Amino acid sequence: MLRFVTKRLFDGALTLGALVVLTFFVIRLAPGGPFSKSRKLSAEVLANIQARYHLDEPIWQQFGRYVWGLLRFDFGPSTRFRDYDVGEILLSGFPYSLTIGFWAVIVASLVGVALGVAGALRRNTGTDYLAGVIGVTGIAVPIFVIGPIMQVVFALKLSWLPVGGWNDGWRSLVLPVIVLALPNIAYISRLTRTSMIETLRENYVRTARAKGIGGRNVIWHHALTGALLPVIAYLGPATAGIITGSILIETIFAVPGIGRHFVDAALNRDYPLVMGITIVYGAFLIVFNVATDLIRGWIDPRVRNV
Amino acid sequence: MRIGFGRQIIGPLLAAFVCFATPVLADDTLDRGIGSEWSSLDPQVNFDAAAAWIQSDAYEGLITFDLSGKVIPGAAESWEASPDGLTFTFHLRDGLKWSNGDPLTAQQFVDGALRMLNPDTASEKGYYFTSVIQVKGADALANGETKDTSGFGMTAPDARTVIVALLAPAPFMLDIMGSFHMSPLHGPSFAVNGAGGFVDPAKVVSNGAYSIAEVVPQSHVLLTANPNYWDAANVKIKSVKYHVTEDVATELKRYRAGEIDVTYDIPLNQIETLKAEIPDEVKIYPSTEVIYYSFNLSKEPFQNIELRRALTLAIDRETLEGKIVKGGSIPTFSYASGFDPTYQGPTIAEASMTQQEREALAQELYAKAGYGPDNPLKIAITGTVAEDPKRRAQGVALMWKKVLGVDASVEAVERKAWLDIFYAGTWDVFSDDLVGDFAGAETFLGYMRPSSEPGYNWVKPEFDAAMDVAAQLSDHTARNAALAKAEKILLDDYIFAPMAIFPTRHLVKPSVKGWEASVAGYNNSQFLALE
Repeated sequence: MLRFVTKRLFDGALTLGALVVLTFFVIRLAPGGPFSKSRKLSAEVLANIQARYHLDEPIWQQFGRYVWGLLRFDFGPSTRFRDYDVGEILLSGFPYSLTIGFWAVIVASLVGVALGVAGALRRNTGTDYLAGVIGVTGIAVPIFVIGPIMQVVFALKLSWLPVGGWNDGWRSLVLPVIVLALPNIAYISRLTRTSMIETLRENYVRTARAKGIGGRNVIWHHALTGALLPVIAYLGPATAGIITGSILIETIFAVPGIGRHFVDAALNRDYPLVMGITIVYGAFLIVFNVATDLIRGWIDPRVRNV
Repeated sequence: MRIGFGRQIIGPLLAAFVCFATPVLADDTLDRGIGSEWSSLDPQVNFDAAAAWIQSDAYEGLITFDLSGKVIPGAAESWEASPDGLTFTFHLRDGLKWSNGDPLTAQQFVDGALRMLNPDTASEKGYYFTSVIQVKGADALANGETKDTSGFGMTAPDARTVIVALLAPAPFMLDIMGSFHMSPLHGPSFAVNGAGGFVDPAKVVSNGAYSIAEVVPQSHVLLTANPNYWDAANVKIKSVKYHVTEDVATELKRYRAGEIDVTYDIPLNQIETLKAEIPDEVKIYPSTEVIYYSFNLSKEPFQNIELRRALTLAIDRETLEGKIVKGGSIPTFSYASGFDPTYQGPTIAEASMTQQEREALAQELYAKAGYGPDNPLKIAITGTVAEDPKRRAQGVALMWKKVLGVDASVEAVERKAWLDIFYAGTWDVFSDDLVGDFAGAETFLGYMRPSSEPGYNWVKPEFDAAMDVAAQLSDHTARNAALAKAEKILLDDYIFAPMAIFPTRHLVKPSVKGWEASVAGYNNSQFLALE
């Protein structure tokens, strides 16, 4: 087991290292630089600014400096935002992304499982079709369509919730969380439904029924536990995906998280900020994948010995 | 164990949840949109419009701008220029204070300028003092030749007098004595906190009508009225909140829901609808940005002035801006006119013709240049992927095709790539624009001087000479007349096709009183009122 853990962690670190190297050099291949402006800066001013960000050094030296900083958790200064360094920007934005992601996972799991179970138990009835429609809608309709529609309905027409921003406490959370959860509700409900139907046909469920255990009890204690295993396997990577996948949602709902910086930083050629966000997202995905692997390995000895 | 784990995760998140829950906005707050996040709140460093608004509220320069963009006294109650126009003397108001109650002295304005010029600050704004106006000794300080500030032309002989000595007369110099171009520096606070002190509400010391009360990156900046401001009694709106909303469609919805009182922009495809629906709330007026299509003079076909003229004339600007782009840009046949009402600049010679006549002439010139149906000109327009310029480029390509038979394509690239292509010189026709440093002709014309910008490969000693003549004049009217002569030389060469003046676009709630069109873009909250 120890060998397995070490190997997984080592692989994860290796992937992160490759990510750092690739991003560092690839972002610099894009045309233009952080300080190319339509009104060209005078040579002296440009030299001052480049020196400040060490952009005047050879690229290998810049890379070395960056990696050395990284080892001390120093992500360097942002070229676009002068008031904060990249570490501060990430620290200030990540809690917002995390909060939305966390609640979206909760909502997606609860609603998804409920819809799935309802569909499985009342197969081919109105309930099942309704759950199916919600599922297909969640997967098929993109966020940039459903988000603005929700804003119009719940904020403009009904005035229940704010359009965006983070000024109204929990009310600001509702729309982004629902929109972020929606596609996952769809996946989870489909997954639960299929798995539940299969489980209900299993011998042990039949045995339980034969022993005279009531319908509700069979479902809660016997069938559901078995049916949820694939859902739990799905939730690991999905959680990472949800938390790192809120880029569009943060833009549509003006949430001050870090997802919004991602595209902007690339367009502004803010090299350090691009690096910082890539590394945080990368690390997040890797940690969740490694954790999923470890849990699977812990549950299922076959995985360990691969 | 399970409960403990749950608590560990959910507890902090719930706590975070509660912390973020701030009360609903009070109605006496002016909520203004600022688009994407401000680049910096450091008054000597920030270089974008959004930050400039926050800065104009929080800091005050020697002069300030009223809601129509006119220069009015700020920290200085009066000023005078020497007869040769080389020395300006500003007299500060009596009893000026910083937000923390410290007295504000003339030397602190000099300190602000020195910090902006200091290479260690790495500010992009030093060129205001080295090239827009040429303050004595500024160059040597900016390029690090000297650290000795005794040769600097900006001085404070006493606590209430600031003297600015220039190398060349600059009648528009007052336009860059506002807080965006030159804020004072509270030395004691800067010495202790460094640049970090400008964003920490507990530490920031400012001298404007408002002080910074809350800064949440990516979300908002909250300003509250500064009781130590000299004119605090006349500041009607007591708190102002600047909201980041990158997505312009979301901003519109926030405006409709009452979350924002003044928007940063208006979505292009909504302008017509909004104009019909809420005409009084749609504010569209010229900004200090001119749009023009540059011809690449280093490429063979464009060395022919007849061809450049033909391409310039074949564009139907009214149709283009009114029916195709529909973004509120103001069509123009000029380059430096339309910003300063006192500047009467020239237009291209054919401006007085009808579009039909212009197109006929264009066809004639096109044929004369050796092109025709069998031998069409093949060119690409390089522009950005932003909505306005993309539509404009497509419209122009269409008009060139229709009127002249030119085979024109549109190459739309992201902004940084667009800039890169410009300096690489590989483009044919460049969808170009320039944002002036102030609302005057000189900032635009100066950019075209072959000596200052290598990008256009335009060699014209006459233009440089005409600009030199203007540069020696200290009288505003005489100078404008001389500048108009220079602009005539520029337009007569058709090195670019003047297109339009880019607009400022805001939605302003009827409850916000006093909003006026300001070309320079200053709409200080202290002069507005909320009903």
